[in-house]
Amino acid sequence: MSDPALGLLMLGLIVVVIMMGFPTAFTLMGLGMFFGYIAFYDPTHLFTENRVFELMVQRTYGAMTNDVLISIPLFVLMGYVMERGALVDKMFYSIQLAFRNVPASLAVATLIVCTFWGIASGLVGAVVVLMGVIAFNPMLRAGYDVKLASGVITAGGTLGILIPPSVMIIVYAAVAGQSVVKLYAAAMFPGFFLALLYLVYIIGWALINPKIAPKLPEEQTKVPVPDWLRKFQASYSNNIFVGLLKALVSPGKAMTLQTDHGRLTYWELVKNLAAALVPFILVAGTLATVWWYVVIHQQVAAAEAVSGLEQLGTPGLSGPAASPSEQGPPQGFYLWFGLIALLCAIWQIRYYIRLDAERLEVIKLLTSSVMPLGILTVVVLAVILFGITTATESAGVGAAGAFLLAFQARTLDWKRTKEAVFLTAKTTAMVCWLFVGSALFSGVFAILGGQALVEQWVLSLNMSPIQFMILSQAIIFLLGWPLEWTEIIVIFVPIFLPLLKHFGIDPVLWGVLVFVNLQAAFLSPPVAMSAFYLKGVAPSHVTLNQIFSGMMPYMAVIVVCMIIMYLWPGLTLWLPNYLYGG
Amino acid sequence: MNVQKLLHGIDAISTWVGKAAAWLIIILMTVVCVEVFKRYILNAPTAWIFDLDNMLYGSLFMLCGAYTLAQNAHVRGDFLYSSMKPRTQAMLDLVLYIVFFVPGIAALIYAGTYFAADSWRIAEHSNVTADGPPVYHFKTVIPIAGAFVMLQGIAEIMRAVVCLKTGEWPSRLHDVAEIDVVGEQLANSQYVDAESRKVAIERAKEIDEVARQRGMGGDLNK
Repeated sequence: MSDPALGLLMLGLIVVVIMMGFPTAFTLMGLGMFFGYIAFYDPTHLFTENRVFELMVQRTYGAMTNDVLISIPLFVLMGYVMERGALVDKMFYSIQLAFRNVPASLAVATLIVCTFWGIASGLVGAVVVLMGVIAFNPMLRAGYDVKLASGVITAGGTLGILIPPSVMIIVYAAVAGQSVVKLYAAAMFPGFFLALLYLVYIIGWALINPKIAPKLPEEQTKVPVPDWLRKFQASYSNNIFVGLLKALVSPGKAMTLQTDHGRLTYWELVKNLAAALVPFILVAGTLATVWWYVVIHQQVAAAEAVSGLEQLGTPGLSGPAASPSEQGPPQGFYLWFGLIALLCAIWQIRYYIRLDAERLEVIKLLTSSVMPLGILTVVVLAVILFGITTATESAGVGAAGAFLLAFQARTLDWKRTKEAVFLTAKTTAMVCWLFVGSALFSGVFAILGGQALVEQWVLSLNMSPIQFMILSQAIIFLLGWPLEWTEIIVIFVPIFLPLLKHFGIDPVLWGVLVFVNLQAAFLSPPVAMSAFYLKGVAPSHVTLNQIFSGMMPYMAVIVVCMIIMYLWPGLTLWLPNYLYGG
Repeated sequence: MNVQKLLHGIDAISTWVGKAAAWLIIILMTVVCVEVFKRYILNAPTAWIFDLDNMLYGSLFMLCGAYTLAQNAHVRGDFLYSSMKPRTQAMLDLVLYIVFFVPGIAALIYAGTYFAADSWRIAEHSNVTADGPPVYHFKTVIPIAGAFVMLQGIAEIMRAVVCLKTGEWPSRLHDVAEIDVVGEQLANSQYVDAESRKVAIERAKEIDEVARQRGMGGDLNK
């Protein structure tokens, strides 16, 4: 048997053996050993001196010192701690109140919680089961269409593996030799764009056909307002913001009010005002950060670079082209920034004019449930994306931050800490041992010439780039039915990667398309695991077929998302190119 | 039963080693945070921290390999597998452990021993920086981790044999699972009624298993 034929046999065998259900890491290792032994066989050497042993140990050591994979345990730990620290039912409750006037408010709240939760954790099963308990039954009770309710939970639950910081992206970065940071930046917009498309679909459907998502009865959307706040409104002003300001100046009347725990204090007034100011601080803070990054930070950095460096070697040799973000603000920036700032200002003014007791309570609920998680993820992502620290460092700080938040919320005890640590260890070992096995396997596969054979074959088909793109995504979609994402990314994606160059396809764009694609694969009947998770907690009158048909529209939305991403690569590539240059 | 005791004994060794190594993640996190503080705030970076990070991470996942195997947590294509009868599963496992696992891990131990021995002989230091820390003890982790995985693998082979005889998989030590978060989240929930909470917490494990079989194994309407 010729060597390339052996390589193909290897590839065929791996598919068969994986389907037999043996742990994939050891399958890869065993197959790699056998075929490597044959590939390196040299009759003049002793059986113990075969070079495959060296390849094996070198590849293992390579995985142990891989500077991309090192951020996996840290991000995984952050996810597990957050998952145990944040209170998802409180989150759902407050978001649902905040969106009480939007059509299909429960479904919208479900999707938002799933997106948030997806940022924190990448586990499909747990999210679907939790949301199934917390949101599915209330939706059914409110008379929501079963398909709508089940679709939003299953589709929302799989978002977690796409939205950064996700472990899948790190693994792809390690496989493809791309920078983690760049891939995070690239997956950012498509991830949120997909969530937005889901949202548009839900609200659109509910507007066209209000029967599928009836409005909640009055008593369920009523915001619990404490008694003292009502009296406070009566004695100061109906507008809480104005009232609080007045009360701070003349606290006499306010001090006589009784709250749940004794008399109202001046300090509590200040705290309430601070809570009322949270929306303003968020909006102003975001705008200020954008302004700082685009305008001030870049000019300072540019000035430092010029004064701090002395040109060595050939003078006049120009350095590498600066990334767009380093070239100062683009032409239209001031105009757009001004317009957006103006819109935000108008919205804020309208908001504060209409600020009443209910809204203040909603803000307080949101602040206590969503904000800690939100701030942590935004900080972690911003620190990575702006290139302030490396991905590993951000992951380490993020994990520490998750611990701090959880301790502050008093949701983490010793038992849960231990659980998070042990789960992290198991997940890390699972992913990284898979890497050890696949590193040996792919090494041997390349030595046997299997990779070259696949390449020749694909090139001989004379496909156009778009045909290749569709073919590769279709294969990955089909693989997504029986396999987990770990196996697809670690074993099968590397086979496509060298081909991308021939077709002039950007590996970053292709990678993000794969991530979105896997979402669809995990939603496709009859193998979608999330459907079975939801079925497990659903009332018995909900059938599996109803859940499946609920998922179908979301698959269509994903396909639409992929087409948009392909036709308009800027959606994926603009942010990484803007931040780090092309 | 004696075999069961032996199996649990081996599980306990792997689990103990894995859980001990798991705490390296906390050390890694602390080291990274301290280094971030030193590098970006005090402007005093440490040269050997990159090597230290790698050593912590590498030892962590290598030493947890046996623990993960003892908990059956290595990813497997369980699409068809999980819907088979235990005896068929055990037959497949037995053959594949002997054909793939034993040679693979034996090679890892064998090659790893030489690799580490060479490193000790020349007192190898890391070449990431000019004055790198020693790496021979780190390389020694490879054969040690390999030996633990092999020990656990032998236990798994014994499990398969027992299952072939009795038609039932021998039990594993109880450990935390990902789906446990459902119970933790719902236990203190204020907004979910007690009835559905109780049902979900009790059934979480079972739901997880049934979902992994994707409808091909158990009955969903139990």
